[in-house]
Amino acid sequence: MAGTSDPHASAFSAAELEFLAEDEMIEIVPNLRMDALNFISGDFGPFRPQIPTQAPLWLAVALKKRGKCTIRAPEWMSVDKLTQVLEAERDSDKFQPLPFHYVEISRLLFDHAQGDIPDTYMVRSLIEDIKDVRFHKIGKGLESISGGGTFALKLKNLSAMEANIVRPFVTRALETFYKLSSSDMIQETDNAPNRQQTANRGPRVSYMFMLYIVKSPTDAQRQLKDR
Amino acid sequence: MASYYDIGDILAEEELVPTVFQYGANGVGLLDSSDDADKVEAGSRAELPFWLVRELYLRQLVSIRVPPCFDRESKTREEIAADAAHVDLRSRSPYFYELGCKIALLIRDRTIGPFLLVAFQTRYRDVLVKAHALTLTMTPKYLTLLTNEEIKLYEAGQSSIAAFKKWRMGGPRFQVAPVLGRKRKLT
Repeated sequence: MAGTSDPHASAFSAAELEFLAEDEMIEIVPNLRMDALNFISGDFGPFRPQIPTQAPLWLAVALKKRGKCTIRAPEWMSVDKLTQVLEAERDSDKFQPLPFHYVEISRLLFDHAQGDIPDTYMVRSLIEDIKDVRFHKIGKGLESISGGGTFALKLKNLSAMEANIVRPFVTRALETFYKLSSSDMIQETDNAPNRQQTANRGPRVSYMFMLYIVKSPTDAQRQLKDR
Repeated sequence: MASYYDIGDILAEEELVPTVFQYGANGVGLLDSSDDADKVEAGSRAELPFWLVRELYLRQLVSIRVPPCFDRESKTREEIAADAAHVDLRSRSPYFYELGCKIALLIRDRTIGPFLLVAFQTRYRDVLVKAHALTLTMTPKYLTLLTNEEIKLYEAGQSSIAAFKKWRMGGPRFQVAPVLGRKRKLT
């Protein structure tokens, strides 16, 4: 993992997130006949011409590159769905549920399987808009943090890429907020004799900001990835 | 938070703090360069680095005068109250917050903590906006106002945005190993 030496660096680079996103399943329509593939992470296939089947994104892209399949755009990547999401995103303060890796998946599909997505241009610009709205919202949200008890943030429905981008900044800011508003700094001086007590109380909330859980891509799978 | 090997923490303790000697001391003339007698009179004033001040203060050999930027009736406090985002804290002390915390804990000054918090709260917002919006060409002027801690924060925000933009733009996905690019030598 990148940046293990510096705790404040981004936990993942964008390329690493893309790698993780490639484990998401997607529907493909193969045009070759192939027996099921047995991997540590699961069995995929069998592949029969014109029979839709599920495969991880990396396999889909690899087959697509060789012209052995067409990729079916996931349900959320339709113009209707995205328009709905965009509107809801604009109207409410909450983040709309989208796939955790929607930024990466859409980019991969646009790069490798542009022809397989209906209304490519529309979809592309919609996703772009959604992303911009959400980033704007994140910025607004971060502006409203105001120390004094903010030790952790809960950001529901935030996607991997979005979390990754704000992580270095936010963890650092929260750390400073915590340091400046810790009980030692604010209250301890009021009751100097009780110092021991206040000190023992320690950090009331051990903040963990957006812990990211890796879905353990196995080594075998990594090797199989034909990039 | 501040670990033993944290270079920022070490440098923060190098900051000078004005002190008054409570007792005279022989053989430490270098702390107070005003005379040649190689000793410090009781009641003389000197600016000493914080790490030294802490030890002397705990032994009650010196008394601390709060540095002007944290003082209760200082100009800095008024400026922070007026418009924190544009105060040049870096010229006060590059380790404004760290030093403030350390001094506040040492002399038990209850006003410094909230003051630092307010200062950071207002300035944080500005750093956030600038980190996400500014282009690289405009930064040097703004960065001169920030303390080291804020600069790190700013850079953390900016670099992650830049990395994301780079990824979005695409560009070469593969990097050619330097070995492969080399031309075969003619034999």
